[in-house]
Amino acid sequence: MTNPADPSDKGSIRDRLQSPVPSSEANSGGDSRHSDLTDAGFQQTDSRGALHARGHDEGQQGVPHATPVTHAHAPLDPALEEAKARAAERKIAGLFLASFASVIAFFFVYFLAPFKFTEPNNIYFTPTLAVLMGIALGGIGAGTVMWAKNLMGHEETVQERHPFGSPPEERAAAAELLVAGAQESQLGRRSLLRNTLLLSGGALALLPLPLLFDLGPYAHKERGLATTAWKKGMRLVRENGTPVRIGDLGLGSIDIVFPDVPGGNMMADAPTMLIRMQPGEFKPVKGREDWSVDGHVAYSVICTHLGCPVKLYEQQTHHLFCPCHQSTFDASNGAKVLFGPAARPLPQLAISVDADGYFIAQGDYHEPVGPSYWERKP
Amino acid sequence: MSRKKPAEGVAVWIDERLGSSNFVRRSLNKVFPDHWSFMLGEIALYSFIILLLTGTYLTFFFDASMHEVVYNGSYVPLKGVTMSEAYASTLNISFDVRGGLLMRQIHHWAALLFLASIVVHLMRVFFTGAFRKPRELNWVIGTGLLVTGILEGFAGYSLPDDLLSGTGLRIAYGIVESIPVVGTWVGFLLFGGEFPGHVIVGRLYSVHILLIPLAILGLITFHMMMIWYQKHTQFAGPGRTEDNVVGSRFYPVYSAKAGGFFFLVFAVLALLGGLAQINPIWLYGPYNPSQVSAGSQPDWYMGFLDGSTRLMPNWEFRGLGHTIPFNILVPTVILPGILFTLLGMYPWLEARFTKDRGYHNLLDRPRDKPVRTGLGAMALSFYIILLLAGGNDLIASIFTFSVQTITWTLRIGLFVIPPLVYVITKRICLGLQHSDRELLHHGIESGTIRRLPSGEFIEETVGLPVPYQITITGSDPTARPALHGAAHAADGLGDEHAVALPEDHMVVDGQPKPRGFFRDKSAPRPEKGQRPEATAPELESTGQVRRPE
Repeated sequence: MTNPADPSDKGSIRDRLQSPVPSSEANSGGDSRHSDLTDAGFQQTDSRGALHARGHDEGQQGVPHATPVTHAHAPLDPALEEAKARAAERKIAGLFLASFASVIAFFFVYFLAPFKFTEPNNIYFTPTLAVLMGIALGGIGAGTVMWAKNLMGHEETVQERHPFGSPPEERAAAAELLVAGAQESQLGRRSLLRNTLLLSGGALALLPLPLLFDLGPYAHKERGLATTAWKKGMRLVRENGTPVRIGDLGLGSIDIVFPDVPGGNMMADAPTMLIRMQPGEFKPVKGREDWSVDGHVAYSVICTHLGCPVKLYEQQTHHLFCPCHQSTFDASNGAKVLFGPAARPLPQLAISVDADGYFIAQGDYHEPVGPSYWERKP
Repeated sequence: MSRKKPAEGVAVWIDERLGSSNFVRRSLNKVFPDHWSFMLGEIALYSFIILLLTGTYLTFFFDASMHEVVYNGSYVPLKGVTMSEAYASTLNISFDVRGGLLMRQIHHWAALLFLASIVVHLMRVFFTGAFRKPRELNWVIGTGLLVTGILEGFAGYSLPDDLLSGTGLRIAYGIVESIPVVGTWVGFLLFGGEFPGHVIVGRLYSVHILLIPLAILGLITFHMMMIWYQKHTQFAGPGRTEDNVVGSRFYPVYSAKAGGFFFLVFAVLALLGGLAQINPIWLYGPYNPSQVSAGSQPDWYMGFLDGSTRLMPNWEFRGLGHTIPFNILVPTVILPGILFTLLGMYPWLEARFTKDRGYHNLLDRPRDKPVRTGLGAMALSFYIILLLAGGNDLIASIFTFSVQTITWTLRIGLFVIPPLVYVITKRICLGLQHSDRELLHHGIESGTIRRLPSGEFIEETVGLPVPYQITITGSDPTARPALHGAAHAADGLGDEHAVALPEDHMVVDGQPKPRGFFRDKSAPRPEKGQRPEATAPELESTGQVRRPE
């Protein structure tokens, strides 16, 4: 797809001229366009000005359609040309045959080769299909491109562009027609008709809107966003439903817990992490002194930035790290934001221990869990 | 001749009813200019066709339902796991449908290539000025294709309901929620309630396989029709003017090359689809709101938005009973809004500032428009920094820097590097212009030393051959002046259509051309406070070139 007149795609001008193409070589060979780089070639291409298209384009009415003028380079020795064409033909046919063979092989592999996950050697199934499909497609593709490049000639064709805008009289005539039509319809004169049509058309455009309303339930929208399934006295259970007892967690370890309700482990706003720290390392926030139990503290897993689970816990520093946007929270200090785009600390769940030694929630979160939204109270 | 009769018969039959011969004759003779960079848009078109083919195949097997089932397919590690039917059917396509994995991966790779080729094609159109009058509308359609393509890609990779796509949807919900006043309403409307709900996969499916593809198809149709009607732009070269197209005819050469190229693109995608694993959803597991995989990265075309989100400081407005999370709004709603608006408006912005409202069918070399090229490089560096920021955790783990260091470096870089890139790019363009002019003026050093009768030695130079002169000057001095320009001038539409007769490129305002790469070495040193490059922008704005003497 190189361009005879755009030598810039063949290295710099200096490079090209330091190794000029001999004119005999340039004028033979598959790509006779190289001759543009020789003096003989310039004369030929320059003569294109004289050969300039008499053809006009489809856009013009009333002008006879002429074939665009094409310009081919001087023919070489016909015998040599034919020999080269034959060689190209053989290569292209070879590519087409390779494509054909790949299609046949594709059928065989598809029906005979093992592909199930449990079958031996199944991992070769998809790559083999891909290679065969690639050859089947690529053979035809490469063959066709080679055909175009080697056998279809290198003529350059010049075609006139049609002018873009219409002539002024055309524009005037079109405008006149539009105005005349509008007058004929009495659109301007019958303002009652026009206005009532606009009114009803506008109303009709709004008609589908209420149909969209039932896409979602809005009745308890804000309450739904602001609350979770956690309730007073509800046990903290693991993903498999087993409750967590005091002493289950080792120092510096973390567990993801859910409210003890059916489907609690799949709720998007309920996941909570229970972390155990040295009681001395943990600084409770003012007013939350009784929200934790013996170094056990519970925070929402859901990032206050965009809702990803903040699950990466660094034992030494007590940093909680969100893998989505790298917000970092300090678990030992009310999950305050240390770094990243999150603006608010992770909500803390007030917990205590019931008579059997199992962790329970003192109630729901005191603030909405997860990302900020318009109606969220500051 | 008798063998040709059936085809001839059909052609005559159709022509008798539709008069198609005239159309066929004109179409087959249409001329398309050749340049490698004109193939980039073709790649996007072919990727889209491949997306339609493979996507249709996938719809036969995919079940867009969030209904929970227990997996019992042949992928052993997930046997007995509860998951949505969407995820289970995607596993089914990957492991139980023969060739299903190949089709799925070709589809995903084609989506990546579709958007990549759109972006590179956009760069080609931008840097060569192909968006100028009369092609502004097609630029806007192209921008629309980029945006719809990104949305389509996001909808597509959210469908399998795996852990990664579910995390992406959670983020999308957070972004929708962050919009003031209407955010929560829209969120409930889209997701059918609180995240995740039970409907989003089904709804995204309608969007992904019907709504957006239809929009893309419509936009592509208009895009192609306009290219066809307006004819392709071309680079300056021998015989090429603003008023013609020089290249190969649609039939047979161009259609053979383009058709072959389609198969080559498909072949590459087939190889990628089978040899390069993409989106292995079986490794991520089904979506679970309390789980996440480290290094969660979206597909590359969403990466710049992910990056802007990561770089944004944690600003949030709280007061008056409401919360406005600027830390979400700015990087994910406002920033892309501004970026895509500026992108779509660029042809008008440039026309306004350059006051160039003429027709342009000949392309610019980027170096000849230093300001535009600088702006483009600047925008590109901005984009690349955001893209890098989208992988700041990966960069951190590969180069063992802390994420904080990377984030802060990129935050500063986002504002410092683009202006630098602008200045450097502009300087390089001007330098290249200088060196071109020097070539044009002095010709090529031949290496032949000649002694003059006076005893002086000189090196002979060879005049620059005409095609190179045309490349540098941007117009063919031997080409016939434009017919249509004259016609326009006659009918009162001005002569913006006409090709200006080339003037001496080596002389600007009667002054000899400057020498040197970065700075004009022949000119006297500029006085303090005076900008040394003052002559170069003038050159650009006048665009005047003259045939060397």
